Amino acid sequence: MSTTTPMSRPKPAAEKPSTPTAEKLEESKGERAMRRRHLRGRLDFKYSPYLYISPFFILFALVGLFPLIYTFVVSINDWDLLGGAGDWVGLDNYKAELASPLFWNSLFNTFSIFLLSAIPQLVVATFIAAMLDQNIRAKTFWRMSVLVPYVVTPVAVTLIFSTAFDEKYGLINNLLGALNLDAIAWKTEVFPSHMAIATMVNWRWTGYNALILLAAMQAVPRELHESAAIDGAGAIRRFFSITLPSIRPTMIFVIITATIGGLQIFTEPKLFNPSSSVPGGPDRQYQTTVLYLWDLAFNRGDFGRASAVAWILFLIIIVIGVINFLISGTIASSSEQKKLRRAVNRADKRARNRFASLQTGSAKDE
Amino acid sequence: MNPSRTTRLAKVLALTSSIALLAAGCSSGESKDAVQPASAENPVTLAVTTFGTQGLDPLYKKYEQENPGVTIEATNIDTGGNALTDWKTKQAAGAGLPDVQAVEEGWLGQVMTVSDSFTDLNEYGAGEISGDWVDWKVKQATDANGRTIGYGTDIGPMGLCFNSKLFKDAGLPSDRDKVAELFGGDDATWEDFFSVGEDYVKKSGKAFYDQSGFVWNAMVNQLDEGYYRTDGTLNIDSNTELRQRWDQLSAAASKGLSSGQTQWDWGKGQAFVDGSFAVMPCPGWMLGNVKGQVEGAGGDAKDGWDFADVFPGGPANWGGAFLTVPSTSKHPAEAAKLAQYLTSATSQAISFEEAGAFPSNLEAQKSKAVTGENELTKFFNGAPIGEILGHRAEGVKAQFKGAEDSVIQEQVFGPATIAIDQGTDGEAAWNSALSTLQELDIK
Repeated sequence: MSTTTPMSRPKPAAEKPSTPTAEKLEESKGERAMRRRHLRGRLDFKYSPYLYISPFFILFALVGLFPLIYTFVVSINDWDLLGGAGDWVGLDNYKAELASPLFWNSLFNTFSIFLLSAIPQLVVATFIAAMLDQNIRAKTFWRMSVLVPYVVTPVAVTLIFSTAFDEKYGLINNLLGALNLDAIAWKTEVFPSHMAIATMVNWRWTGYNALILLAAMQAVPRELHESAAIDGAGAIRRFFSITLPSIRPTMIFVIITATIGGLQIFTEPKLFNPSSSVPGGPDRQYQTTVLYLWDLAFNRGDFGRASAVAWILFLIIIVIGVINFLISGTIASSSEQKKLRRAVNRADKRARNRFASLQTGSAKDE
Repeated sequence: MNPSRTTRLAKVLALTSSIALLAAGCSSGESKDAVQPASAENPVTLAVTTFGTQGLDPLYKKYEQENPGVTIEATNIDTGGNALTDWKTKQAAGAGLPDVQAVEEGWLGQVMTVSDSFTDLNEYGAGEISGDWVDWKVKQATDANGRTIGYGTDIGPMGLCFNSKLFKDAGLPSDRDKVAELFGGDDATWEDFFSVGEDYVKKSGKAFYDQSGFVWNAMVNQLDEGYYRTDGTLNIDSNTELRQRWDQLSAAASKGLSSGQTQWDWGKGQAFVDGSFAVMPCPGWMLGNVKGQVEGAGGDAKDGWDFADVFPGGPANWGGAFLTVPSTSKHPAEAAKLAQYLTSATSQAISFEEAGAFPSNLEAQKSKAVTGENELTKFFNGAPIGEILGHRAEGVKAQFKGAEDSVIQEQVFGPATIAIDQGTDGEAAWNSALSTLQELDIK
């Protein structure tokens, strides 16, 4: 910047009133300045990119890395919320948590709710995306309407659903009663409560994921579909052989974000029965790990053990992330996609040749 | 040096120096207030954090008018539980606490473990006026070293809410004085309570009380020693009195006395109007709650709820709050003065009219505003609520609350009371409570 402005160019030495020695001095000064500027230019070129990307890393260090490390420090101390840092206990908090049935219960609940929500959610989202990808009327209207649940705040969603799932007076049990079916203990039994919470998660996130998948589907070249159609592939066949393989990278992105979100689930189980004195159901039927962590830290005041849980959860998410990465590495390899595209191209060419030969053939025949 | 660099440097210098000046300006302004009393020339801003409906809002304006220079910044948190989390995080962080912090009796045990981080109000004249409040209220907020850290606001003396219509339908007396007699009057015991309940269940085929949690809460609160001994040691496993009461309660639940409602929810008030249950232990502040629930479900005074001057097992208190001054406050004298004002006789009478919070101040208890007619008395079939609550407050003893008292109440016995409501055997529920106690690592 400064190196390119004319202002920064050294003034010619001759303009200065000077004695020979002074002239010499000025000259060498100019040289030095020149050299300095070269150096600055090089440094600028080499290091300023780092400066430009540094805000992210500084922010990350402040709000991401520091809390992570500090949490670890807390987790190796017998830290009371009100009393502050106590004795250094090493990994005792981790040992206590790994031996605690309450911790394992929360982990089971988290995975159960996660699987109950993620799997149906992704299947339905893909289906909706495929439908929206068709040539339908009022496209924008349908696309916007699948996003509506996502715009509603989770608190409102949970309030509505927790009323609907009420055991004695809720809409759903009333409907079941009208059909002469037994009422389901949505808030006191393990599996039904997981189902109910998964429903809330699905309601909120399915449309969002559908739109992301739709964007990916729109990027699939239409020619692939056209040539496959010419080859005689039906809509379902095309969906499984062209659409799905082509959106794999996006699919993996959606799966990973759903996994992280699923493992951190908090609002829905917290507000499912807000008056419950134990967060996550009286017998912790749907107490997820984050909810357990919150309970440990703020109800029971045991910051040390809560921090240990936070770190265990962090490690679990990393492990799952690595597994995801490995799996995605094998299934989403670009060579596969290329293979696919080549195969389709070949089929396309074949079809065209056949069409052409049919035409020329019929012309010859006549 | 080239000019563009010089200007840049100048800019940076100007910016930093102005920030430094700004910071200096702020800090010098604050240190002055700490010593002088507030006046128009020396304005002071006091932050107040309360929760629920404490009925203090009209008092803030009055105080500001009477004390020029004082500005009150009031924050009200929706529930006591959320206020506890708010206080705990700020206390742990050592920053962000207001000048006046409301503390709920239920978590006073936790506050008392760090009582030295609150201002001793005796330094600001609390000792001379401590006779203004019911004695056990003052005792609750006084720690082992004799430091009084809170002025008492409301208290929760308990009476019985009952549905006169349902009582009548079941062939029981429905007049509130007769109902009090039915339960044993001044010598009412839990045996009486449960035997009336059995009678009611037999005659009406309906449940008697809403759920076992609140009954258990009352049963524990009126013991001389609850979950903790006065020396601060845990007192559950070998507490025969506690166990006896548990057996009484679980037997009652197994006979269908409990309606097994969800605490604080009651089917969004439905259970109050559809005859699901006929009685409920009611501390003063619960009356407003009952009214709200009934009205929320579309009911009104005609649904027959009434309030009887009787409570099984003797006087009991549930809840009530204190106003404390955290020692982080920069204006402890001003804050203590405000807390004293907000809990004075006239203020507490206004709070009662505003929110139904029953005064802990003796003079306020006798005031016309409290004993007279209001919206609540109209709803409860003209019951003299203020008088009854004043009577129910007599003889209450302050039970020692340990640090984990609220955790035990909510996480250990909360699930157990739900379990007996759902048909679990009392013995099994007690044992599972004890194992929860162990799992939670409470000592």
